[in-house]
Amino acid sequence: MTALLETRRLTRRFGGLCALDGVDLALREREILGVIGPNGAGKTTLFSLIAGSLAPSSGDILLDGRPVTRLPAHRCVRAGIVRTHQIVRPFGNLTVFENLMVASHARSGAAGHARERAAELLDFVGLGERAAHYPGSLTLAGRKRLELARALATGPRVVLLDEVVAGVNPTEAIAFTALIRRVRDERGVAVIMTEHVMPAVMSLSDRVMVLDHGKRIAEGTPQQVVDDPLVVSAYLGTAATEVRT
Amino acid sequence: MTVRPPRIVTPAAGLVFATACAALAALPIALELSGYAHNLLTLSFIMIAGALGWNWIGGFVGQVSFGHAAMFGVGGFVAGRLMLSMQLPAPLCWLGGALAAGCFALGGHPMLRLRGPYFSIATIGVGEASRLVFTYWERFTGGSSGLSLPIDADLKYQLYWWALGLAASVAAVSYAIRRSSLGLKLLAIKADVDAAADVGISATYYQDLIFALSGAVVGLAGGLYASYFSFIEPSDMFGFDRSITFVLMAVIGGVGTSLGPLLGAVVFVLVRTYLLASYPDLYLGLYGLLLILIILFEPLGLTGLALRVLGWVRRARAPARGPAP
Amino acid sequence: MSRVVDMVFSAVLLAGLYATMAYGLGLIYGVLRVVNLAHGGVIMAGAYLAWYLHERLGLDPYLAIPVVMAAGFAFGVALYQGLVRRLPRGVAGGPASLLLLFGVWLVLRNAAYLLFTGNDQAILTAYSSRSVSVLGSHVSVNRLAVLGIAVVIALVLHAVLRRTQVGRAIRAVAQNADSCTLVGIDVNRIYTLTFGLGTALASAAGVLLATVFSFNPTSGSSELLKSFVVVVLGGLGSVSGMAIAALIVAVAEVFAILILPAYLTTAVGFLLLVLVLVLRPGGLFGHRVLS
Repeated sequence: MTALLETRRLTRRFGGLCALDGVDLALREREILGVIGPNGAGKTTLFSLIAGSLAPSSGDILLDGRPVTRLPAHRCVRAGIVRTHQIVRPFGNLTVFENLMVASHARSGAAGHARERAAELLDFVGLGERAAHYPGSLTLAGRKRLELARALATGPRVVLLDEVVAGVNPTEAIAFTALIRRVRDERGVAVIMTEHVMPAVMSLSDRVMVLDHGKRIAEGTPQQVVDDPLVVSAYLGTAATEVRT
Repeated sequence: MTVRPPRIVTPAAGLVFATACAALAALPIALELSGYAHNLLTLSFIMIAGALGWNWIGGFVGQVSFGHAAMFGVGGFVAGRLMLSMQLPAPLCWLGGALAAGCFALGGHPMLRLRGPYFSIATIGVGEASRLVFTYWERFTGGSSGLSLPIDADLKYQLYWWALGLAASVAAVSYAIRRSSLGLKLLAIKADVDAAADVGISATYYQDLIFALSGAVVGLAGGLYASYFSFIEPSDMFGFDRSITFVLMAVIGGVGTSLGPLLGAVVFVLVRTYLLASYPDLYLGLYGLLLILIILFEPLGLTGLALRVLGWVRRARAPARGPAP
Repeated sequence: MSRVVDMVFSAVLLAGLYATMAYGLGLIYGVLRVVNLAHGGVIMAGAYLAWYLHERLGLDPYLAIPVVMAAGFAFGVALYQGLVRRLPRGVAGGPASLLLLFGVWLVLRNAAYLLFTGNDQAILTAYSSRSVSVLGSHVSVNRLAVLGIAVVIALVLHAVLRRTQVGRAIRAVAQNADSCTLVGIDVNRIYTLTFGLGTALASAAGVLLATVFSFNPTSGSSELLKSFVVVVLGGLGSVSGMAIAALIVAVAEVFAILILPAYLTTAVGFLLLVLVLVLRPGGLFGHRVLS
């Protein structure tokens, strides 16, 4: 099965620092790929490169076999790749519904369809009551739901979730986990997610990739990755203990 | 949950708008306005168009331009030249001016990549550079002597309705943009340009588009202005003071609101006419003070004030509509 | 050849003036993230104050600099405490601060017009027309004095920022204001001081300007633009960076006469600005923080 999204030897340097070094990644349709690694491993850089906010120093990114390497962010969205942000960035001057509308419009011009999609997503993430409210009045969990819904409103084939579960209470985290699963199962969108909340990543991911200092050091099923000594040493053993509990 | 789509123009709004336009159109004849009042209104309409046009880039997108006089001047002088050299009918000359101004604005594309203060200062630069270049381009603008245009009394009288038409169209378009998906995209760009790109909005494309439209509208206003005064000179048309007036009108009325600048333009013209008569030496300082007070206490200017008053009125009425105990 | 030497001298002398103009703007922007759109107005006000002191009290403009700087400082402090401080922080503060300070500029312009009329002025002292021979070129005494004072100001500013307690606090706040509150730095006091320092430097630049060029109440936009070019080219708050950037701007302007007609040389500053902003918003030296 050919990969939906692929990166080949993806590299990004910032002056002397190599944030990402020759990373190969393959994401299949309807797959949830978890990307984990210690702080500074290059996870957010990877996302920025794939989603088009940053241009790579070298390497390729392919969607359906077609190169999308140097597409700027808004073109990536049109191609079907969208990201959420680690620190949520809702449009504060638009209502919740308008946030979804504006993302929905970017994908399809027809106002009717855009509106339907936005309304449907509002229900999907459970923000129906808050449609006319402004993001400022939402809790963090609410804003994260909005961020997710807004990304989905662009009608993507791949969504990059940047620490979506982090920072919310355990009840919310469980709800989010279920939501992400539904994204894959009900909407057929492939997901790459990066998280520090290990239980979430491990239970959701079909496969996991581990980054350390910009390089891919392991890849496989969650269980394989957890057992990998390289991974354990990269995390200094703490993550492995977390997962086993 | 069903979401009913709001119409871009509600029937109520459309009715109010049509009535207002009809009333204004009939005004000169119905009330037998004096020449003074007639002209004052004409000038107001021209300024309304300019202020609303400025607001598209300055208010909706939030990129404050201190250099719009450049487009105003280009529009005015191109229209003037077309009138003098090719003797085309006035409306065609105005459109020519608008087109030229719009293209000029498109040339500002590299500036639009800049954010906030960088953009604003760049506009000061472009505005001033334009003034210098056009002042010395004597063959085109007549240098410091300016251009005298052949405007007959009939056209000057009819200018009222042309200007009204322009102001009404620009107002309608402003209102429509604000409530449309384009308006949402502009607001998103204003809120967070990177996040906007991350949901598929090309900031470059939309900013270029709206800046060109803004320039064209202001250029159109420049053309009508030229016909209104039948004499234009570069230091006035391209001057920094001219750029300031667009900013002021929008801020006074409510920068970023859909129709606030309309109010601002009216107030501005009235105050200026009165001030010029009584305190000609104070108007800059008074405008400065006005800007300071508005920014500090009511950033949405007159519109904000009106909304606040409406809020008080609603709250004052509220007790009568409270829930039964 | 001697023509080229003349031009190089001109550029160096001009650079001193431009650098002094730029420090104030750069300092305020680097620490408060606010572009002081009234900067040109303060320069103009400094020029007028020195002119006034010279006219009424016969005070030599260069000796008047401390007085003018004190007045500029007081003005900046009042401006910050009274107005700028009330602005909301963050993105919303962006256009708001621009418009607010623009309003202040307009007020300053009008005040100057009312007090001094709109006519061009210049400060003419007994030695204004004298010139000195330096390396075979004739250099006006005023321009030499301006350069000398500019160098002194640069050195003092550099020393203050690097070696004094206050200077270090300023640099710390520029880096990360929130952390500073955690270590007990009164951020608000630093903001006030910085703003005052910024306007003091601008007024000093105004005095220098007044001794070599004529000015009137509408002066200020080209000074603002050139200061901004220097700040952007040289990197926010880097004193040495700005000094070098000032030299670049001055050289460009002086040598532009060789290819551009006279009236456009003023536009060189504007054109440089647009070029620099479009090509290199991070500045040539890439500093984002005071150093």
